[in-house]
Amino acid sequence: MMRIVAFAWSLVMGLLSVFLLGPLVLVAIFSFSSNALISFPMGDLTLKWYRDLFVNPDFYAALSNSLAIALPVALISTVTGTLAAYAFAEWRTRLGLPLLALLGLPVLLPPLVIAISLVVLYVRWLGLPLGRPAVIGGHVLVTQPLVAAVIASRMASFDFTVLEAARDLGASRWQTFWKVTLPQMRAAIVGAALIAFALSLDEFIIAVFTIGGGNTISTFVWGKIKTTLDPSINAIATILLLMTIGLTLIALRLTRYRG
Amino acid sequence: MTGWPRMLRRGLALFPAFGILTGLFFMPIALLLAVSFWSVRSYRLVPGFALDAYARTFSFYGPLFISTMLIAAAVALLCVVVGFVFAYGARFRSGRYGDLFILATMITLFGGYLVKIYSWKAILSANGILNSTLLWLGLVDTPVSWFIFNRGAVIVALAHFLLPFAILPIYSALRNVPDITLEAARDLGASPWTTLVRVVLPQCKAGLVAAFAICFLSAAGDYVTPMFLGGGSGIMLGQFIVSEFSTRFNWPVGAAMSFSLMGVSALVISAIWLAVVGRRG
Repeated sequence: MMRIVAFAWSLVMGLLSVFLLGPLVLVAIFSFSSNALISFPMGDLTLKWYRDLFVNPDFYAALSNSLAIALPVALISTVTGTLAAYAFAEWRTRLGLPLLALLGLPVLLPPLVIAISLVVLYVRWLGLPLGRPAVIGGHVLVTQPLVAAVIASRMASFDFTVLEAARDLGASRWQTFWKVTLPQMRAAIVGAALIAFALSLDEFIIAVFTIGGGNTISTFVWGKIKTTLDPSINAIATILLLMTIGLTLIALRLTRYRG
Repeated sequence: MTGWPRMLRRGLALFPAFGILTGLFFMPIALLLAVSFWSVRSYRLVPGFALDAYARTFSFYGPLFISTMLIAAAVALLCVVVGFVFAYGARFRSGRYGDLFILATMITLFGGYLVKIYSWKAILSANGILNSTLLWLGLVDTPVSWFIFNRGAVIVALAHFLLPFAILPIYSALRNVPDITLEAARDLGASPWTTLVRVVLPQCKAGLVAAFAICFLSAAGDYVTPMFLGGGSGIMLGQFIVSEFSTRFNWPVGAAMSFSLMGVSALVISAIWLAVVGRRG
């Protein structure tokens, strides 16, 4: 009986893992298949789709747009999110958590609503053009609360007495921050920045509404899915997967996130 | 005390994040709310206070509204049930492999929004992997057409996308259930089922409702998944928010639909919170 139960659990967990990872694995496998479509049996091994992609100037344009958005997003949201988390941690009152929740509100609402409200703001009220800065603003809005949450959870296990020790030994507030706080927080901060970067690379809905002209990687993928059955989608999708998953796995190691 | 007063320092530390939050979230949302009371005459926005946009939302889009809520509820329920099974298995039934299952969840979480939708399209379409496998195995003679372009396909793909968002909060709730209480229940003669219903579930109610809320909200607001997998005329409100907003340039109706969607979703979630967790939280 015990054996049967244990076997049933392994089976259930195995099947659910296949359900979770299967769709991603399929795309990656078929990016190396000579079949134009994802279908069975798969064709010969080929790197043709990657070659097609790497000679396509549109791909590089989209990639450089995405990087030109994701880098500032990671930088800005890491600074604003870390500062906010620092203030929450110092507060040590009941006000910290509600403030963190308030900061997280943009993540809770549908991205579609965030996107159209930004378009209304930029176009109708500020008369600003859409484009990369517009996307950066929207992305910072949804990445800074995640940075703040990652940093705040690291700070929860932070030993504040070492700061007092540093101050007692004559370090200024600024010196304490640079020489004691920051080195201890470095891994968490880098991890949070990588997560913000990965989220910005992958984000589609805010990007497609606020980019105006041009493409990011995700709107480029969108264009391909929408119009044609272009097999190079598998290749772009695999590259995108490798970037986002790779970055977040490194980030998870750095922040020692455990579920 | 040397240096800046405490309050000022904290204020300065909070300022950048909350400045961005105010400028790019509270302000635009307030503007969008204002726009939802405007009207459109001969393709021009007319400021004012009219309820026309809301009237159109609940009359013309009424049936679609209900269909959207039902799809979101189905997705959220599916995610909570399957998410609970998976999180429970990872927490209590997998020994040292538990962390690996959570890693698989994290990989799925970050594995690309559009990539997942595209992959489901490739799996379910008439010449996709599922049909070509069934044909190859000789289980069917002609491709099955009902795998895609209907509510079922949208629910499956959304559930796949949102499952990690259900697993993680439920898992973290289950991590707070001490092993010792389970052992105590078993020693006192409780069956595994009784232990689950009377010991485990009451301790992770809040996590379950949180998972439901996240999945319900995200599913209700999605438009890309139904666009690709839901078939021709559109089955979810988000698709029509996009078309009212971008192709018909009727911002008031697009805005009114957005606020109605969020308002009704909030009501559904509060009702479930009160029913499951109760007033005292």
